[in-house]
Order: sequence, then C-alpha cells, then structure tokens
Amino acid sequence: MSWKDPLMQAPFLELRGINKSFGAVQVLRDVAMSVRAGEVTALVGDNGAGKSTLVKCVGGIHPMDSGEMFINGSEVHVHSPREAAQLGIEIVYQDLALCDNLDIVQNMFLGRERTSGWVLNEPEMEQLARKTLDSLAVRTVSTVRQPVSSLSGGQRQTVAIAKAVLWNSKLVILDEPTAALGVAQTAQVLELVRALADNGLAVVLISHNMNDVFAVSDRIAALYLGQMVAQVKTTDVTHAQVVELITSGKSEGQQA
Amino acid sequence: MTVSTNRNMRAGAPSQEEIRRQNLGALLRFVHERGQISRAELTSELGLNRSTIGALTADLTEAGLVTEEAPRETGRAGRPSLVVRAMSESIYAYAVSVEVDQIRVARIGLGGVLLDQRSIPRPRGSIAGTIDPITTFIKQMAGEGRCVGAGIAVCGMVRREDGMVHLSPYLGGAVDEPIADSLRERLPELLPQVAVANVADLCALAEHTRGVAAGCDNFIYMYGDVGVGAGIVAGGHRVTGHGGYGGEVGHMVVNPVGRPCGCGSKGCWETEIGEHTLLKLAQSTDIGAQAVLAVVDRASRGDHIAQAAVRQVGDWLGFGVANLVNIFNPELVIFGGTLRDVYLASAAQVRSKLNSIALAATREHVRLRTPALGSDGALIGAAELAFQQLLNDPLA
Repeated sequence: MSWKDPLMQAPFLELRGINKSFGAVQVLRDVAMSVRAGEVTALVGDNGAGKSTLVKCVGGIHPMDSGEMFINGSEVHVHSPREAAQLGIEIVYQDLALCDNLDIVQNMFLGRERTSGWVLNEPEMEQLARKTLDSLAVRTVSTVRQPVSSLSGGQRQTVAIAKAVLWNSKLVILDEPTAALGVAQTAQVLELVRALADNGLAVVLISHNMNDVFAVSDRIAALYLGQMVAQVKTTDVTHAQVVELITSGKSEGQQA
Repeated sequence: MTVSTNRNMRAGAPSQEEIRRQNLGALLRFVHERGQISRAELTSELGLNRSTIGALTADLTEAGLVTEEAPRETGRAGRPSLVVRAMSESIYAYAVSVEVDQIRVARIGLGGVLLDQRSIPRPRGSIAGTIDPITTFIKQMAGEGRCVGAGIAVCGMVRREDGMVHLSPYLGGAVDEPIADSLRERLPELLPQVAVANVADLCALAEHTRGVAAGCDNFIYMYGDVGVGAGIVAGGHRVTGHGGYGGEVGHMVVNPVGRPCGCGSKGCWETEIGEHTLLKLAQSTDIGAQAVLAVVDRASRGDHIAQAAVRQVGDWLGFGVANLVNIFNPELVIFGGTLRDVYLASAAQVRSKLNSIALAATREHVRLRTPALGSDGALIGAAELAFQQLLNDPLA
C-alpha cells in the first residue's frame, strides 16, 4: 500500500515500435507504451484508434508485425494467450467470458482446475477463491458457490476481475469494465480497479468514460489513429486536454 | 537517543509500571487494528523481546482481552508462531451514528468486528429526540461480555471539553445538546463511558485505523450530506482546533457573490457542492442520499440536466479541494458520505480543477480516493473512540 516514487521504478511492461496491419490497413504505427506496477494506466482513444488491437497484441492473440516487448526490463516474445498468462498478463474482456451454468469457483478455475490425485480439490479451490475475493475487499458476493447466472452485472465484473487476479498475475488489462453497469456497480468496480493497483499490480484500463479515467488512473496513454500521441500523468492534465488528444491527436496546453 | 535518555533521567525515568502499561497498550492496539497477528510479527513490530511479548500476551489473555491459538498451516518450515486474536465477541463497544436522515446503532467488537446493527429514520427536530430510540436499540442489543462504553458520531459540531453538540443550521438550528451525558444518565449500568465527536472526524479516524488511509499521516476525509465537513489528519494527529469545532470546510467561502448559506454567510462551499444545490440544479424534487444517487444515475444514463448539475458541482468540488490541498499538502483526499458518488461521477471535473488550480508541488503526490469502509466508517470510527480508553490502559 505504500507509495513509491514511480520515477525510481522500471516499468513492468514496456512496448517499443509496435506495428500491426490487417491486410492493407495499418492499425498500429510505431506504438510505444510503458505500464508500471502499482499504477493504473488508462488507455484512451476514439473508436478504431487501435486500443483493442494493442491489448490483443500484448495478450498474444494477434502476432505483432514488428516491435519489441519488455517485461521487467527483459525482452519477451508472446505467441499465445497461454504464454501471456505465464508471464503474468491477464485480460478481462468486455463480454467477460464467464460460463452461466457454472458457479463462481468453477468459473475462476475453468481449464486450470486444482486436483489432488484423480479428483478435483474442491476445498482448496473454494478457499483460494474466497481468499482472492477477500483480498480485493469484495463484499457483494455472499457465497462462492453461487451460480454465475444469478449474479448482477457488477458482481459478474467482480468475478471476472478476481479470476484474473487469482493467478498471481502481475498485469491486469481491463477492457471497458464499467460499460453497461449501473451507478452503484460502476462505483464498486472502480474501487476494485483502484484496489488492484494499490495491492501492487500493474493495471491497464481501457475506457471511454473520462470520469472513470480520472477517478482511478495514475497515467493516461492516448492513441489516435494507431499512434501513441501522449502518455501523461493524470495529475498534469485537464479533462479538456485529454478529450482534445483523443479527438485531434494533439493538445495545445500539453506538449505531447 | 542519548538526548531523550538524558531528558528522562532529569525528569525522572518512567516507572516499571508505566512502561508495562505502555507496552500492554501498544500490543493490544496492534491486535485491535489487525484483528489477529502472530507473536513473531508482534515481536518485530513492537521491537520487544520475545519473552516480554509472551508475558504481556499472558496478562492480556488473563484479562480476557485476547486469546492465543495455533495458526493454520503456514506452508513454511519451522515451528509456527502462536496467533494472538482479539476477543471480539466478548469485548465490545456501542457505536451510534446520528445522521441527517437516519440513526444507526451498532455493537462492535474489539478488532473492529461488526456484531450487530440496527437503524431507523431520524425523528425530526433536536438531538434530544434521538436519545429514546438509541436507548431502545442499545437495550435490545445488550449481549454477554464486557462493554467498554459507547461512541457517538453526530452530524454537528462538538465542543471538545464536554461533548456539547451544536447542531448544523439545517437540523433545527444552533441548539446545544449534551447527548453523551443524556445517554449515560439513561443507561448508567450498561455504559461505563460515552464519548461524542463529529462524523467527519470519526470517519477519518476509522479510515486511518483500518481503512484506505492506514499508515498515512497527512490526509483529509471529506464527508458530505446536507452540509460538508472534513476530518483533517496532519502529521498523524486529527486537527480539531481550539474548541473542537475545526474542519468545517463547508463554510469556507468560495464564491463571494454566491447564494446565501444557512450559517448566515454567503457563498460558502456548501452552497456550491451540498446536497441541496445538486438536487436543485438537477431539478430533482426528492431530498436525501437516495435522491443524490438518483441524480448521478440519471447523469450516467445521459440526462443532460443531471449531467450539467453533476459537472457544475464537480467543478466546485475540485475548486475547494485544490485550496485544501495547497494549505494542508495531504497525500490522500477521501470522499465519503454522498460525496463518494458525486466524486466518482465527476472525477474528471474534480481532477481537472485540481490540476489547474493547485500548486504543482502540492498536487503532485495527492491521491483522490473513496473510503474503504464505505458507509460503515462513521460506526467504526465511533467504536474506535469508545475503545481509546481501553487501548490506553488495558488493565485499568
């Protein structure tokens, strides 16, 4: 929980010169970005600016055409989501990818179940799920054996985030976590996102909502037509400047 | 080190008994704040000898304040250290929160465990009218074990020397109410002591002890209901002023040509960010915390009137916070009460104003946060107040 000087700390994830084309369309041009542990980096940009593509490149879903990726200072190559997960990178997508017919524990361990001998180790999984939810100060979920179909939108988002945290992940990327949530639930999810970073994780938040961005982020990275036009500290910019960066790629008040 | 030793010798070194009381208090405080803690951790945190910790723990166990048990599997080599746990079930305090629209009473165990909680809408009028329902609740909740007393959080200004409450102008005017004494007189056998303090101060105390501000020595807790108050902690101490009335940031004048305020002044911060103003700007006919949530909800669904209202209030919120940040240089500003929702819905405005007004040096490290204890902060803070005496001298 203690505050560390971010300047003294090497970024957890560093991207340099990322290019990516889909056929004739170049989606990412020479993108550079750094994400630090203990901080929320908001990734903002208009529709089609390349936010999701960038995230999918980091997550190993799309191969990059060129560019370098460093984790804790050493270069890595990610070719599949499994490799990304091994490096401690977890992505929570907009559609959450939870199975309605399974309960919270089954969802959190889906495909990576703990076993003892031939059978599933249910008590251990249940205990770990409970511990993870507790560590995130989640008070809205009463029992971890509840089926996901009975949960509200905010609770589902919470479970999806907890699932990402469970695997000792170091970097959690959240794609529009508050879209389609009510006010009370949005507030809970924002507090949860902040708690992740305060617990020492590196967090990337993709959002269109300026309030969400300013409420939780430490840094703002703005993409404009596939180019990273600015990466600034949230304490240095105003709402209007960020909107300008998103819509025109430059801001008069801010030297990008 | 030498200097302090010399001073002690000149003033007369503390007696064996004083040192022991001090250590017992420090140990119990650790257990209280963490809920449970291993003997090994206590040894390193308190910097005392292992056998001293053992002896102190034995004393506290004998007094029924803590219990020791073997820890669960640690997965590490070596003999596991015993875990010291607070006797939350049998050592407890009553926490009372007198809010604008409701009264909440809770029974909170040592270690900050919420054992029981009740609430009713607040009867109109003065504080005197709240004594009856509080008394009833406390009688209903009375349990086994030892009660250390009661703490009361009130939405009003509290005089330090005798706990006299000056109500805010919205709540029936400037009537003095000795709520602590009245309650103590009603239930002399149940309550050994009753303490009272302002709700913002107690929320700050709660967050400092076991919330988002744990380990943080300079922070401001902004509490919003009809009015706005702040619990200010500077250098690890609560800043409550000469008479105990400090922290009334809601009456800081921010707009000299603004609306008249209930306090008689004009353009107070409250008149720009208070509940009434937000609801009026949003053309809402309801009142209270639920109405504020409804406005925020409307704004998030795209209602232009509500959006403009939230934005305007957010701008003023940032304006005032920027001034406070310049004066106190806090590392944390917490938005509680209804301000939690208003802040989250207008964070872009608040941050932008702060970034354009506050000095670069003071705003650089300031974090804006919402309370970790949510709306329970007032109750937990009130219980902390009641536990203070026990923590200062556990075996008294």
